[in-house]
Amino acid sequence: MSAVKEADPASPAGSANALNHRRPLGDRGFQILTLAAGLLVLIILALIAISMAQQSTTWFTTAGLKGIFSVDWDPATNNFGALGFLYGTVICSVIALIIGVPISVGVAMLLTQVVSVRWSRPVVTVIDLLAVVPSVVWGLWGIIVLAPWLQHIYLHIASAVNGIPVLDTLFGGPNVSGASFFTAGIILAIMITPIITSLSREVIATVPAIDKEGAYALGATRWEMIRGAVWPHSQAGVTSAILVGLGRALGETIAVALVIGNSDEITGHLFYSGSSIAATIALQFGEATGGEFRSALIGLGLFLFVLTIIVNLGARAIVERSARRTRGA
Amino acid sequence: MPVGPRQRVATVGVAAVATALGLAACSSSSSSTAASGSSSATSSASSSTSTVSGTIKAAGSTFQTNFQQGAISGFKSVDPNVTVDYDPVGSGTGRSDLYSNTVLFAGSDSPVPAKEASEVPAGKTILYFPVQIGPIAVAYNLSGITGLKLDSTVLAGIFQGQITTWNNSAIKALNPSANLPSSTITLAVRSDSSGTTANFSQYLVDAAGSAWKLGTGSTIKWPSTARAGDGGSGLASIVKSTPGSIGYVDFSTATASGLQSASIKNSAGDFVAPSTASATAAASHVTVKPNLTFSAADQPGATSYPITYQSWDLVYSVQPNATDVQLLQAYIGYLLGPGQSLLAPLNLAPLPASIDSSAKAQLSKITS
Amino acid sequence: MTVASDPAARTVDLREPSGWRRSKNRIMTVLMYVAFVIVLIPLGFVLVTVVAKGASAISWQFLTNGTIPPNVMPLGVGGMGAAVVGTIEITAFAALIAIPLGVLGAIYLNEYGGKGILARLVSFLSDVMTGVPSIIMGLFIYLIWVVHFGYSGLAGSFALACLMLPIVIRSTYEMLRLVPDSLREGSYALGSTKARVTLTVVLPAAIGGIVSGALLAVARAAGETAPLLFTILTVEATNKNLFSGPNTALPEQIFVNAQSPYVGAQARAWGAALTLIAITFILMIVARIVTARFTRYTR
Repeated sequence: MSAVKEADPASPAGSANALNHRRPLGDRGFQILTLAAGLLVLIILALIAISMAQQSTTWFTTAGLKGIFSVDWDPATNNFGALGFLYGTVICSVIALIIGVPISVGVAMLLTQVVSVRWSRPVVTVIDLLAVVPSVVWGLWGIIVLAPWLQHIYLHIASAVNGIPVLDTLFGGPNVSGASFFTAGIILAIMITPIITSLSREVIATVPAIDKEGAYALGATRWEMIRGAVWPHSQAGVTSAILVGLGRALGETIAVALVIGNSDEITGHLFYSGSSIAATIALQFGEATGGEFRSALIGLGLFLFVLTIIVNLGARAIVERSARRTRGA
Repeated sequence: MPVGPRQRVATVGVAAVATALGLAACSSSSSSTAASGSSSATSSASSSTSTVSGTIKAAGSTFQTNFQQGAISGFKSVDPNVTVDYDPVGSGTGRSDLYSNTVLFAGSDSPVPAKEASEVPAGKTILYFPVQIGPIAVAYNLSGITGLKLDSTVLAGIFQGQITTWNNSAIKALNPSANLPSSTITLAVRSDSSGTTANFSQYLVDAAGSAWKLGTGSTIKWPSTARAGDGGSGLASIVKSTPGSIGYVDFSTATASGLQSASIKNSAGDFVAPSTASATAAASHVTVKPNLTFSAADQPGATSYPITYQSWDLVYSVQPNATDVQLLQAYIGYLLGPGQSLLAPLNLAPLPASIDSSAKAQLSKITS
Repeated sequence: MTVASDPAARTVDLREPSGWRRSKNRIMTVLMYVAFVIVLIPLGFVLVTVVAKGASAISWQFLTNGTIPPNVMPLGVGGMGAAVVGTIEITAFAALIAIPLGVLGAIYLNEYGGKGILARLVSFLSDVMTGVPSIIMGLFIYLIWVVHFGYSGLAGSFALACLMLPIVIRSTYEMLRLVPDSLREGSYALGSTKARVTLTVVLPAAIGGIVSGALLAVARAAGETAPLLFTILTVEATNKNLFSGPNTALPEQIFVNAQSPYVGAQARAWGAALTLIAITFILMIVARIVTARFTRYTR
């Protein structure tokens, strides 16, 4: 029988030689174009790493490991110790997670398990609105409206816990300020909620219905079903979503710069002013004229870059590992 | 069919929008680079006698910020070819910029202090051009309390950290009818080297005497609980956002920030609120040295505001560049001339006429 | 049904859940609703505040006057026209760069890359890049462009484009994936080249989703401040020229004015915030309309 050759999708039908696998120039050109566009991502990331590493070597070599991790950041005396900013970044992100995760996961559960389809759209709209408010507007509202109001509350809390051992270190102290770690943590929590909620929703939606119905069939209440059927399946995905949210919180610059108060002190008092890596870079770059000052700020940026990449890699690793496990099962 | 009419319309629409964006972006690049500012259109009609062009780099006192900003835009219509750049880094940094020749003039609220005399390059004489007078407001954030009255002794106590709560008996004694809360007083001070700090502390040395123990200078060792802000506006931000705080900041900044200012007891025994009028009254009594330096603080007169101060633009008398001489004479001449009318609306005070004319006469001493 | 296998096993209780189990369920349900209310509060608060405080600042002069007054000036002097023009120009140019490149990149990933190592690497790195903080993009463009060519709106566009690129790639990729293979195969069967298939069949089929994803990326870029701080510096008067000279934009003005204690500056910040939110909301609404009416294939 006549051989029905499979038409090579890459060669136009009716070309003279059916075995001719050379593709027309335009087609090849287009493929190269798309490849180049895709490679752009690689190139940009590589350039970011290279250019920032190169520019921050002055700081690394001059300050050394000891200098970089010291507490003293004083451009006037050429001291560029970044420990205070590192501390501030971590503390605010931790506060943001503690406040934000229960809320985001709660809303995600609400959307997927509790509300009917009709009501899910307005709820999703609210989450989308939350995501679309620019970070500078959160910062503006935070410093002008929220911070003074919170200061009153902080003062009351501080006087209430005065003397109680652990609470006093965390929430007490005479220098409580509306512009502080805690306020920055609250704003960050608001800002990372949309991303955690939407990522969690996607994951939770993939839980097989059969597991959920099985739980119901065994007499579980909805909460027990969530705990027993939904959570084990979506645990890895939700954790991954939380890590993505953490990455956002670590890198958030403008809102934090406006409400964190800008002091480079390391203190356990959450209601005191502090600073974060990103906020410092944003606020001090304009004044950085000296070689080491600028190099230090770029070094801080490199640090942030690496940190957020590690966190995002962790998020992906968790998802990959659990996917592998379920695939193997 | 899979690609329906809607999809076709959408694709064409997207292509059209993309083309439009591309055209818009490209057309913006061809517009002239001289199109910087709609105000330039009106300036061509002015009667400009000056033919200088160039840039003046200046830095210094934050007290002068508001005045300089207004003057720079005003001066553009007098001489559009001159660009003036004033960086409010504080009096101390401004002076050191002048010593290192990074700026053409430095704004400073105090003359060169004795301990800085060695930093002035050898052989260089500094000319002092007074440009403005104004009150240092003691701004506070207490809801419901207006017209707070304070005197130098109480101020010393507050800013040394001895008086720590608002309902302290010393403050109550001066304000018997005010409902003072029992909350802690938060101090707002300057973190940078500041002429406002220097003049405020000098006033406390003069008026409070031995009650004030922290001395005077561009930086002071304030109590450790004080919150420091960068520049006058930084300090004002702290007071504005911190209930129960008090700080010293120039009156122009305080009013523009919506802050309340206290009335201070002057040497005649009257409690005077800061204002253009009370600052002008104080300035009318000053004794001027031959180099045009003076202090407007703690002046006599029933209506004088006691914490009035002043600011100068410091210039080297001998300039390396002839163009620089012309630029300086043009701009500083503007500050001393038409620029003085900008001061009152900014809640500052113009120079007394005699000082103004002496300063104008000194312009000819700038030579190359 | 009782669990049949082991008679000694506890039988399943089929009665209504006992009191505390039911209360627990109810409490958790209430808590989930409370979580939603907690989300509503700051959103409502911020929107109400921005509208209330911004509305009094907005006027035709505010939106169009090209001279940005010194901070200390009260409201009514000058306006934010320079920032409005800057935002529109810089964001538009960034979109012009990022959207075509992003779409092409996604086409590579979906149509050409397949399961190859390179494609997986690009996809992976693209995800990683969405998590890179925007300030890094600003620093990056500063180092490789601004240092050599100076501050300009163009540099700002580059920084925003770096930010938008992975977002557009991801959303376009998801949309392209949804286009059924039968469309492609039918087109191949008619003798099209791969490029032609992609451009004339696949792309139009997914165009709704692609456009809506792109609009959301633009909305995100319009609101970003950090990348601009290092690339456009600032100006006090409108600079229409995107390619030369510093520029300014709404987010940058909001940032600077938010830190100022002056009443006039803060009023201008609120006005600029209202303008910015209006722009981003409009983009978001248009994106939703596009999704609703022009998107053929959704999840």
